[in-house]
Order: sequence, then C-alpha cells, then structure tokens
Amino acid sequence: MSQADFEISPESGTSQAVAVPWEVILWNDPVSLISLVVRVLKKVFHYDQAKAERLTMQVHNEGKSVVWTGDKEQAAAYCVALHGYALNATIQQAQ
Amino acid sequence: MSEPFQRVPGGIAVDLPSQLRHWLAESAKEASDDAVTMESPVHRRLLGPIDPSQDHDDPIVELQRQFSVEGSLGVFIATADAELLSEEEAEEWIRAFQLMLAAAAARFAIVDEDDVARLDEEQTAIVTTLQAGISLLIEALEA
Repeated sequence: MSQADFEISPESGTSQAVAVPWEVILWNDPVSLISLVVRVLKKVFHYDQAKAERLTMQVHNEGKSVVWTGDKEQAAAYCVALHGYALNATIQQAQ
Repeated sequence: MSEPFQRVPGGIAVDLPSQLRHWLAESAKEASDDAVTMESPVHRRLLGPIDPSQDHDDPIVELQRQFSVEGSLGVFIATADAELLSEEEAEEWIRAFQLMLAAAAARFAIVDEDDVARLDEEQTAIVTTLQAGISLLIEALEA
C-alpha cells in the first residue's frame, strides 16, 4: 500500500495515520445476465447466494454497487477477476 | 431435441450445430483481435484501466488482464468443436461468451437499455444468442 493510501485523522491531529480503503465498484451493463453476475460474485468473493443477489440487484437498480472494500492490491486483484468475466468494474479510494 | 449443454459423467456434453460453432469461433477471433487494437471500442471496454483516474493500469495488471482475455478466448477457439468439455473448459466458455458479448456491446455502442431496444434484427440475434449460451452453460454447470 502506498503512502497516498493514508490520511491524517482529524480527531488525533498528526500523530495517527488512518488507512483509506479502496473500493471495488461494479457498474450496471445492459447485456450481462443477472444470473451470470450473481454466479461471478459468488465465485470471486465467495459471497453467499443472498448477498450476491442483493449486490447484483443494487447494480441493476441503482447503476452501481460497492461490492468489496479493503486494501488496494486486493481490490485490484478482485477487479481483474471480475474483468475476466467481462464485467464492468473499477477501483477507487473510498470517499 | 437434446440440450445444447448437458452435465454428463466426465464433464459437460456439447450439442451445437457446426454452423453455430463456426460463427462462435469467428466471433471469438474477432473479439481477441479487437481487444488488442488500441483504437477499437472493444479494447477500451475489455482492457480499459481499472482505476479511471489513471490513463493506464499498472503494467503487471495490464498484462494479467490481457493474458486473461487471450486465454479464455484462446481456450474457446481451441475447443470450439469439442463434444465434451471439462468443468474448467466450460468455465472458460462462459468467460469467452461474456467477452464476446461485451465486445459486441462495445461495437454496437450499447450503454443503456434504450440502446439495446434500438438494435437491428441481426445485432439483437447476436446479443441474444450469446446470452442464451451463457444462461444454458450456467444451468448445465450448476445442475
């Protein structure tokens, strides 16, 4: 994780650095089947059926969903895995 | 009439007409070629940066993604005439069908549902054929 992934905690002044997590965002795409997206979320993240379905429907209804949050390297690895199924995913630092 | 994909001892049996297999293999080759053509919308769709704030991915990530795309489409092309797929090959077929679908969507400039609705008959047939293939493969693998 690079230094840019850390920010200074406003509560503690300069003495404590807080890691800013990265998010994997899955975007809606109008041709991928819901059954495929659910299957891929289960396979890549080992989510159970209910969580995979909930995230998939959020993508479908709201246009996107944060499907995972954590460190940058793992976020990139997950994003690459989603792209292996041609799903439209990106990573960004959490706001 | 038998199922196009069916779980059997030893893997997934494939029963597709040779004309369809030929068309799918040609589509896979086209997607593979377009994926590495920088100015193609297919390249941007399949290999655009995973972090949109950057112009390019980390070179290692870029290579991983290129190998992944070429690998899945390559496995499909090599096994397009197979009558029996292993589990791993069937999974690569799902990836390859998805890549072909995303490539077609990029070529047809599909961004939202309205774009799907305005497709012509041939374009609609391409999208629905690939979607049907994915759906039937998932059913067979999960049976």
